[in-house]
Amino acid sequence: MKRNGPLITLLAGLALAAVLITVNLTVTARGGDDPDPAGFGAAAATSAPATAPAVDPPPSSAPPAGPPPAAKVNAVWAGKVDGGGATIAIAVTDGVAVAYLCDGKKAEVWLQGTAAAGKLELAGAKGATLAGTFGGGKAAGTVTAGGRSWKFTAPAVKKPSGLYRATATVRNAKVVGGWIVLPDGSQVGIVTVDGQPRPAPAVDPATGAVTVDGAALTATPVTGALTAN
Amino acid sequence: MAADEGTRRIAPATGLYVPLLLGAVVTVSLGVYGSVHTPTGVSVNIAGFSGPMEVKVWLASGAALLALVQLTTALAMWGKFGPHPPGWLGPLHRWSGRGAFLLAVPVAVHCLYALGFATYDMRTLAHSLLGCFFFGAFTVKMLSLPKRGLPGWTLPLLGGAVFTALIGLWLTSSLWFFTTFGVRF
Repeated sequence: MKRNGPLITLLAGLALAAVLITVNLTVTARGGDDPDPAGFGAAAATSAPATAPAVDPPPSSAPPAGPPPAAKVNAVWAGKVDGGGATIAIAVTDGVAVAYLCDGKKAEVWLQGTAAAGKLELAGAKGATLAGTFGGGKAAGTVTAGGRSWKFTAPAVKKPSGLYRATATVRNAKVVGGWIVLPDGSQVGIVTVDGQPRPAPAVDPATGAVTVDGAALTATPVTGALTAN
Repeated sequence: MAADEGTRRIAPATGLYVPLLLGAVVTVSLGVYGSVHTPTGVSVNIAGFSGPMEVKVWLASGAALLALVQLTTALAMWGKFGPHPPGWLGPLHRWSGRGAFLLAVPVAVHCLYALGFATYDMRTLAHSLLGCFFFGAFTVKMLSLPKRGLPGWTLPLLGGAVFTALIGLWLTSSLWFFTTFGVRF
């Protein structure tokens, strides 16, 4: 027993890991056909084709005309949410904050609000909210959308990393694209054409050039409040 | 070990080859799995905590605490706190080690399954490397323990490596979590 003890310890750990992995695989397989694995995309996916899938301006957000009196915040934070199921970027221009949460497949939400005195307060369509803090080169907090919430800690990023958005009308179809470019060069984005979200084609962060349905669009870094178009 | 030291024989380290090889296999396998497997973002977890991260930081904290017990009991067993260490030190060392290992396994499963090998910043990179290294080093230690005739430095070196890795893992995860989000359950 004594000489076998260490081996039994190893095997016990292996067995425990095997059980956990098996349970994981079972649980994940059951949810595998979920068209919305990240779970927050219902808002974008169900919006009526006739209406713009853009953000309803949150009523409580400070209008761009009335920025906070304190030092105006200018920063961009971007990173994966805890658990890695989605990516978030927050772009702040003179205290006006725009956040984009996106899984790169079909779930996305845009939020708008304020960044002042170390606090982030944003809101988006269908009751989506983001509350957090920033400072020391990072932003952290909780974003809630579609009845689920994610915690995140995102580092400050510099161009070409950041948050990009493109809006256009292509052959009478309203196109809204959002991209998050991370410091490692990877991109996560969704383009919504007439209310139908889908993974976005890669954008050139240097020029913002991107081709959607054969049409050349230009994505621009998000600065200041979103416009419906 | 004690017998070998008594005879003053220079023990060959050849007995370590197989454990080291298997440990390397474990480390590389974990790293490859963590890199290749697409992180799911979710994994089964223990109820009663506010979130998976909270579960992990407390499991890891338990493992780190037991690692301190490991260090203390190991030092005592090797006579660092005076001769004639009490007989209960051995069982305490073995069972605290098993406890630490078994606490670390669910954390690692969650890391590898839900998050994957991450190189996002220095903290996640160090954590990913240490995590893979820890289970490899632990494998080497477990496979070396029953072997007789290994050099005297084997167990202190392996034990020290395992301990250092686990503490490093705790610092790059739980301590970071506690200092970033505060201590919560």
